[in-house]
Amino acid sequence: MISVDKVTKKFKDKTALHNVTFEAKKGEIVGFLGPNGAGKTTTMRIILGYLTPTSGSVKINGLNPQEDRIKILSSVGYLPENNPLYPEMKVKEYIQFIASLKKEKNVDDILTAVALKEVLNTKIEELSRGYKQRVGLAAALCGNPDILMLDEPTSGLDPIEQEKIRDLIKKLSKNKTIIFSTHILSEIEEIADKVIIIHRGNKVFDGFKPKKKGAVATLFKKVVKD
Amino acid sequence: MFTLFKKELDYYLNNAVGYIVVILFAVFVNFLYVKDIFLNGSVSMKSFFGIIPWLFLIFIPAITMRAFSEEKRLNTIELLLTLPVSEAQIVIAKFFTYIVLVMLALLLTFSLPASFYYLAHIYLPEVIVGYAGAVLMGASFIAIAMYFSTLTKNQIVSFLSSLLVLFVLLGISSDLLSTLLPKFIQDMLVYFSPIYHFQNFAKGIVDLRSVYYFVSIAVLFLFLTVVNLEKRD
Repeated sequence: MISVDKVTKKFKDKTALHNVTFEAKKGEIVGFLGPNGAGKTTTMRIILGYLTPTSGSVKINGLNPQEDRIKILSSVGYLPENNPLYPEMKVKEYIQFIASLKKEKNVDDILTAVALKEVLNTKIEELSRGYKQRVGLAAALCGNPDILMLDEPTSGLDPIEQEKIRDLIKKLSKNKTIIFSTHILSEIEEIADKVIIIHRGNKVFDGFKPKKKGAVATLFKKVVKD
Repeated sequence: MFTLFKKELDYYLNNAVGYIVVILFAVFVNFLYVKDIFLNGSVSMKSFFGIIPWLFLIFIPAITMRAFSEEKRLNTIELLLTLPVSEAQIVIAKFFTYIVLVMLALLLTFSLPASFYYLAHIYLPEVIVGYAGAVLMGASFIAIAMYFSTLTKNQIVSFLSSLLVLFVLLGISSDLLSTLLPKFIQDMLVYFSPIYHFQNFAKGIVDLRSVYYFVSIAVLFLFLTVVNLEKRD
């Protein structure tokens, strides 16, 4: 379980997050919605212990990411924004590198799950964006993490690739807590159980996804406008 | 940590740039040493080890400039720091990769001293101590250059800043400075010069103060590198 309690983050004189509180329970898919620069990535980085909150606290399965960062990161898979990868490495080398650090033995299963087997010996720099995103997802899945944090997993992909990645996320979601950030409203409707809307560093909505089609868009327009 | 070390080393072993830099270092050392032998008309390891610090001045910033600046530019630093490894493990893995590269480069220069051992009967233990000193000096230079690569995303800036700092360190004991500064300042400054400490090794003397000097610099700058990586806000 992830618990974020009254987290504020300031960068010099700019407040990136203000008093944000929410929870994500085991097995939930939480969609983090907000315009660019709203504070979604900062929140994810704080949850992972990559950034330190100015005030407030975060707990992952009862552990504090600032104190137990390495222990927590063994059970968390993360796909950072813009999916940074080592371009000179081959897909196989890269996944083996991550798998070795996360003590993953079933690399084959992961490669099958994300359909990467046909490009195993291709250099990452030669892959299409869609395949690169799959590589990032495969890396996030190494170590069989309980929690997956995906920062804009479909960003920059064409609609067909977006659909494929969404299907993958849905397929992978069994028994995992997934937090994914996006600014694509339809993505939330399709995948998420719960929606958290962040706007200008403030949490403006936290609740279960409205079931009616198009309701997320209406809700988003309403809370972001207010 | 071994996984990180292997990944870093693989980068250089699978990349032409790594080979080019290491081979260029060896070619320059051998060329300058042979030139010196013909100019002086005698075989001495003193001139051989006299060349090493000045070539390290270019070689070490060249191999370390991408250490963290490239990770920052590609944002793979975020990827690394969200894996279950500590900042210290990342720094130490990279540090040992560069130590291996320095050792490889020095190994390629060993053919001349080895031939002179047979032809001119130079004293081998002296040569070995000299090489050990070169590795120690290289380690301290690597730590300094790695620290500077954490300060910028730009590899060229990283290269130039570490080159400048190493140049100042090497220049402390230069003849030019001794004519410009009062003697008591020169005497004090010279203790901070890597050349001053390396000269002992080049003569075949293992002076623990010099070992301590190089190890202290390496530890200090590796520590500063870790501290800098921990600063992410």
